[in-house]
Amino acid sequence: MTHIEEKLWDYIDGNCAAEEQKNITALIASDAAWQAKYQELLNLNKEFSAMELEEPSMAFTYNVMETIRDEAAKVPLKSVINKRIIWGIGIFFAFTILALLVYIITNTKFSGTDTSFSLPQGLKMPDLKNYFTKPVIECFFFFDVILALFLSDAFFRKKRLLRQQ
Amino acid sequence: MQSKLSDIELIEQTLAGNQSAYADLVKRHQRFVFTLAMRFAKRREDAEEIAQDCFIKAYRSLSSFQKQSKFSTWLYSIVYTTAMTSLRKKRVDTDSIDDEDIYIQVESQTSGYDVNDVENKSRSFYLNQAIEQLLPDDATIITLFYKGEQSLEEIGRALGMEANTVKVKLFRARQRLKEKLERNLKHETKELI
Repeated sequence: MTHIEEKLWDYIDGNCAAEEQKNITALIASDAAWQAKYQELLNLNKEFSAMELEEPSMAFTYNVMETIRDEAAKVPLKSVINKRIIWGIGIFFAFTILALLVYIITNTKFSGTDTSFSLPQGLKMPDLKNYFTKPVIECFFFFDVILALFLSDAFFRKKRLLRQQ
Repeated sequence: MQSKLSDIELIEQTLAGNQSAYADLVKRHQRFVFTLAMRFAKRREDAEEIAQDCFIKAYRSLSSFQKQSKFSTWLYSIVYTTAMTSLRKKRVDTDSIDDEDIYIQVESQTSGYDVNDVENKSRSFYLNQAIEQLLPDDATIITLFYKGEQSLEEIGRALGMEANTVKVKLFRARQRLKEKLERNLKHETKELI
C-alpha cells in the first residue's frame, strides 16, 4: 500500500514522468483500490493545502524595524564614513607633516658646535603665557572630570549589559 | 497596504537606503516566517522572537543575497538555521528533540485554542493540532511545501538537503500527519460519544 501511496503522491504533485503518469491514470480508472486511495490522498492534499498560517502580533513589523533602526544608530562612525575619505584625510596630514619636516631640515644650519634654525620672516611663535590662564586651566580640568565620569558610566553600563546577557 | 513591487525590487530599494521598503518585505513574509518559527518554538512569544531575529539577520546580510534564488527560499534557510539554533539552546531537559512524544505533550499545554469552543473544532483546527504534534522537521517540510510555494529543490536549498531527501521526508511527514489527524479525530469522536 505504501508503494501505491508513494506513486500516487508523485502523481498528485506532478513529479511523475509522462509515461508513468499515463500508467497511473489508467490504473486509477480501472482499479478500484487505486481509485479509492487516489480519492483519499486527493482529499488529504486539499486539506493540507487549506492549512492556515499563524498571525504574529500587530507590532511585529514595528518591532523589527525599531531594532534595525536602533542597530543602525549604534553603528560606529568609522564604518559609515567612506574609507576613501578617511584615507584622504590621513594622507593629507602625513603629507603636511612630511613637508614640514623637509622644510625644517632644509632650513636648519648644521655645524660642529651649534645648530640653529630660523623661522620664515614675518612668522612669530604665539606667546603661550597669554593662553594658559587660571580660568582656562580650571575649565580644562572641569571638562576632563565630566568626560571621565561620562565615559566610566558608559563603560559600567556596557559591562552590566554583557553580564545580564 | 502592502507594496506591489517584487521582492527583488524591494531589496534593491532597501540596499539603496530606503528602510520602509524593508518594512514592506517584512509585512509580506511575516506570517509565513512566524508560522515556520511556530513549528519549532511552540510558544508564541518564543516564535515571535525567532521570527524577529530572522528578519534582522536577513537585513544585516541582505547585500550578500545573490538573487539567483527566490528571496523567500533564502529567508526560509535563515529561519531554519535560526530556529534550529534556538531549539538547541532552549532544550533544558534531557529529552531528545527527536522524541515525538514531547510534541504530543507540549501540544495540549500550548494550544492557544479554547477546547470547549465548538466553533474552533473545525477540520482546520484538527489539522493545526496534528501539525503541532509532528517533529519540527516534518512540520517545516509540510508547511514549506503547502504554504511556502516552494518546489522540492527550493525546500532542499532552504534546509540544506538534496531534493530527493526532501521528497522522501515529505512522503513520511504526510503519512505521519495523516495518522495524527486520524488519531485526533477518532479521539474527539470517542469523547463526544
